[in-house]
Parts: sequence; C-alpha cells; structure tokens
Amino acid sequence: MKIAVQLFGPLAEQAGRSTIEVTTSGNTVADVVAALSFKLDRSVRFAVNTDYAEASAIIREGDTVSLIPPVGGG
Amino acid sequence: MFMVTTEVLSIDEAYAAVRRDDCGAVALFIGTVRDHHDGKKVTKISYSAFKEMAEKEFAKIGTECMARWKVGAVHIAHRTGPLLIGDASVVIAVSSAHRAEAFEACRHAIEALKKLAPIWKEEFYAEGKAWISG
Repeated sequence: MKIAVQLFGPLAEQAGRSTIEVTTSGNTVADVVAALSFKLDRSVRFAVNTDYAEASAIIREGDTVSLIPPVGGG
Repeated sequence: MFMVTTEVLSIDEAYAAVRRDDCGAVALFIGTVRDHHDGKKVTKISYSAFKEMAEKEFAKIGTECMARWKVGAVHIAHRTGPLLIGDASVVIAVSSAHRAEAFEACRHAIEALKKLAPIWKEEFYAEGKAWISG
C-alpha cells in the first residue's frame, strides 16, 4: 500500500521536503521505514496519525506515519 | 486551552483560561528565548511543530495533571515560527484550590511537554545554526 510519511525538523531539512509517499508490501511502521531511501538515527521516534507508535505498530491504508526526531519544545 | 499558534502568546489569556472561583492559586510558567546557548550568542530561534499531534499531547498532559493533582484547569500554549530574544515560546497556567498542587502540576506540565511534544527548535547564531533538542 501507499503510505504518506511526514518529516519534521532536521529530517525535513535534510530531505528538502516535508512529505514522502512510500510504497510497501508490509503493514507495520518498520516496513514503511525500510522502504525509505535513507537510514534513520535510532533517536527518531514514530507516530501513526497523531499518536506515538512503536516500529511494530500495524498501519492501514490511509494512515500517515510521521518521523519524530528528538524534540525541542518548551 | 491547548494550542500551538504563530501568534504572540498572551499571559492574560492563559490566566483567564484557568482562573476559577473555587481555586485559590494559579501557577504560571513562561518559557522565553534566551540569548545564549553553549557559550554561543543566539540571534533568533525558529520553532516548528506537528501542530495537531502537539495539541493532542498538550491535552493529554492536561488530563494527566487533572488526574494526579487536584487542579481546576490547565492551559498550555506554544508559539511557532521565528522568535526573537525575550519572546515567550510557551505559556502554561494551572489553577488549583491550594498552591502546592498548582506548582507541582505546572512543573510536571513543562517537563512532560519538553519530552513529548512534537515541536522542534532551530537556533541561529552569528555564524551557523543548529537543531536543539531536550
């Protein structure tokens, strides 16, 4: 399935864009990450839609996966 | 209220949002842009956010504050976009019947926000810039 991946912070800056569309035959966040053309640092967390998720989280058609690099709010 | 906005943050609004007749205390935390970091002079900062998820995390923090301490109300607002030295980046207000709970819940709210909110900070110096976390 095709999944929209949102990039933020330094990841978006490095990629030069804030969304990437990924095609995967898998159904987990890990499968989506494996389909990216770049490697992620271990400090990057994931979200599915608007909730934090583990790499093992199941994703469905229409879900958005967000890559959350170390945060700096406050 | 729980919000991420590009507008200048209002401390009056934060206070008004949590003030209750049955609360005798309001604790406020205001985070402001500091002029130095790691020995370097900061010229400006830019915050960006996953707005929808950040507001949801603020609401979760608010719910947690209500559950763990007897607080009346919680308000969390964070500003995004370019900010100058001295600008308020975040305003948190918590009301409670007595001051102990207000102080503790307010402290918890900023510590939780710093760990969980999907918000990113880019610092600019005379030469160069850096993404700062934590």
